[in-house]
Amino acid sequence: MEIFSYLSPMFFALTAFGVMVGIVFGAIPGMTATMALAVCLPMTYGLDLTNGLALLLGLYVGGISGGLVPAILLNIPGTPSSITTTFDGYPMTQKGQGERALKTGITASLFGGLFSAAVLFLFAPTLADVAIKFSYIEKFLIILFALTVIASLSQRLLVGLFSGALGIWFALIGTYDISVGGNGEYRLMPEFLTDYLESGFSLLPVLIGMFGLGTILQEAERGVHEESLDSVKYQKGATFSFSIFKGQFVNLTRSGAIGTFVGMLPGVGGSAASVLSYTQAKNFSKDPDKLGTGAPEGVIASESANNGLTGGALIPLLSLGIPGDSTTAVLIGAFTLQGIQLGPLFIGENLDTWNVMMVSLIFANLVMFLVMFFAIRHIAKVVTVPKYLLYPGILMMCVVGAYAINYGVMFDVWTLLIFGVFTWLGQKVGLEVAPFIIGFILGGQAEVYFVKSLESFGTLTIFFTKSPIAVFLWVLIAISVAYSVHHTIRAVKRKKAGNGS
Amino acid sequence: MEQETGLFSVSIDFSQSHLFFPHIIHWVLFLLALSIVLVHGREIVRHVQGWSESYREHGLDYDRLRLLGTLVLVVAYFLLMNWVGQLFPNTGMGFLLVSIPFMALMSLLYVHDLNRRKLVAILANAIIAPLLAWYVLAQLFFITLP
Repeated sequence: MEIFSYLSPMFFALTAFGVMVGIVFGAIPGMTATMALAVCLPMTYGLDLTNGLALLLGLYVGGISGGLVPAILLNIPGTPSSITTTFDGYPMTQKGQGERALKTGITASLFGGLFSAAVLFLFAPTLADVAIKFSYIEKFLIILFALTVIASLSQRLLVGLFSGALGIWFALIGTYDISVGGNGEYRLMPEFLTDYLESGFSLLPVLIGMFGLGTILQEAERGVHEESLDSVKYQKGATFSFSIFKGQFVNLTRSGAIGTFVGMLPGVGGSAASVLSYTQAKNFSKDPDKLGTGAPEGVIASESANNGLTGGALIPLLSLGIPGDSTTAVLIGAFTLQGIQLGPLFIGENLDTWNVMMVSLIFANLVMFLVMFFAIRHIAKVVTVPKYLLYPGILMMCVVGAYAINYGVMFDVWTLLIFGVFTWLGQKVGLEVAPFIIGFILGGQAEVYFVKSLESFGTLTIFFTKSPIAVFLWVLIAISVAYSVHHTIRAVKRKKAGNGS
Repeated sequence: MEQETGLFSVSIDFSQSHLFFPHIIHWVLFLLALSIVLVHGREIVRHVQGWSESYREHGLDYDRLRLLGTLVLVVAYFLLMNWVGQLFPNTGMGFLLVSIPFMALMSLLYVHDLNRRKLVAILANAIIAPLLAWYVLAQLFFITLP
C-alpha cells in the first residue's frame, strides 16, 4: 500500500490548517471558499501534489462549512450556499439558541460531507470508466450540457448563456495551439499584445482577479462596513444535544443526496443545492409551517446539502475534467500547476493521488467538525475581524498568486486587475460569473472537440447521429433548456399576478 | 469515412481554421445579445430610467473615496512593485518594500472612525504581513516575487 508513504504528519497538518483558514474565510461575509482557494494557492507552489491537495481540500471543506456562522448569528450568509441556513438559524439565535443552531448545523455539515465523499468514492471511477469511451463529439456535447445547465439556473437564461459564450470568447484569445492540432495563428487580439497573450490569459490570474479583487471592489463601493456581533443573543435558551437529530435521518440523507447530486451537475453552484433541499424538507415536513421560524429541521436540510456539494462537485472534475462549481475550477488550476491533466484517465493513472484525495477529504470533514463543534464560540468571533486589516492582506496574496504562477510574469498581475474590474463592472449589468468561468475554462477544449470533429466527419449531423450517448446528451440539453424556459415563464406569470393583485 | 454532402456538410480550410470557431462564437454572442434586447428590452429601459432618475435626485450612490482610492492604490501598487523590483532583481524586494506602504494606505482608506488603537493595529499588520509572506514564500519556498 504505497498510499501510506504519502500520509505524513505534514499532510494531516496541512489539511487541518486548510480547514481552519477555510472556516475563517467562509465565516467572514463576502469572502467565499473560492476566494480562500484562490488566495492560498501560492502556498501550494512550494509543496508537492499530495501536500498541495491536502491544503486545498481542507480549504474547500472549511470554506463551505464556515458560511453557517454568520448565517446563524447575523442573518448574513457567509457563502452563497448558506442562504437557507439563515431562514431557521437566525430565528433560533433570536430565541437565544445560537449555539444550539450552530452545533446542529455543524453536525449536519459533517454528515453531508461524509455522505458525499462516499458517493464520490463509489461513483467517480464508474463515471470515468464510461467517459473513457467518449469521442470528441460526446466530449463537446458534455461541455454544451454543462453550459446549458449552469445557464438555466441563472436568473435569466439568455444572460447566463451569453455569459458562458463570453467566457468561451475570452478563452479563444491567443494562438490556435499547434499541440492540439491547430494552425498556430493568432486571433482575437491586437498586435501589440501578441507577446503577452500568445497562450491567452492564464486561468489562475483570471480566477484570482474575479474572486479576489472583484469582491474587494464591490465591498469598497459599499464603503467597507463592519458587521457587529454585539447584539447577538448567543446562548440563553435550550442547549444542544444530539437528540435533536431524532427522526431527522431521512431529512439528513435526502438533503445530503440532493447536495451531492446538484454538486455533480457541472457548473451548478451551492445556493441551488441548499434551496432545493430546503424546499424538499418543507414539502416533506410533518409541520411545514414551523420551517422559517427557527426549526432545527431547516438548518439540518440546508447544511447537510451544502456540505454534500463538496464531494459531488469533485465527481465531474475528477472523472470528466469539468469543474462542478467555481471553487473546483480553482482546483483545476492547482492540478494543472502540478502537471496533472484531469479527465477520464486521471483516477486510473493516478490511483495514489486519488486515494490520498479521499483520505484528505474525509479527514478535512472530521477536523471541520471537531474544530467547529468544540471551538465554535471562538470561531464565531472571526466574523468581527476588521475588514480594513483583512482586505489589504488578501490583495497582497492575490498579487503573489498571480505573479508567481508562471514564475514571474508581470502581465499576469495586470490580468488580475483587468478581470477584477471586469467582474465588478460586469455584475452591474447582470453578467453571471459562474457560466463565464465555466465557459472560460472549457472554451479551448470545446473548440478543439468541435472543429476536429467537423474536420474528420465533414457534417454537422454527426453531432446527433454519432452514438446513443450523443442522443442521450442532446435529450439532457433539451431538458435543461426546457426546464429553464418553463421556470422563467412561471416566474413572469407569478410576477404579473403579484402586480395585478 | 465517406464525406457527406448537402445542407449540413462543412469543410474547414486548415490555414483559416483558427477563425472558424471564433466566428461561430461571434454569431452566438450577437444572436444572444439580440435575444436579450428583444426579451428583456423593456426591463433594461425601465432599469436605466430608474437609475438615471435616482442619479438626478441623489447623485451616484457609492462610496466614491473608497472605490476610486482602491483603484488608484492598486494600479500604483502594481507599477511601483515592478519598478522597485527591477532595481533589486531576484530578491522579492519590490514586493516587500512596496507592499508595506500599500497595505498601510489601503487599511487607512478602509477604516472607519480611526483611533490610536486601530492605527497601531494597521501599522503592525502592514509591516508584519508582507514580511511574513516575503519570508515564507521567497526565502523558505523560493517562490519568485517581484
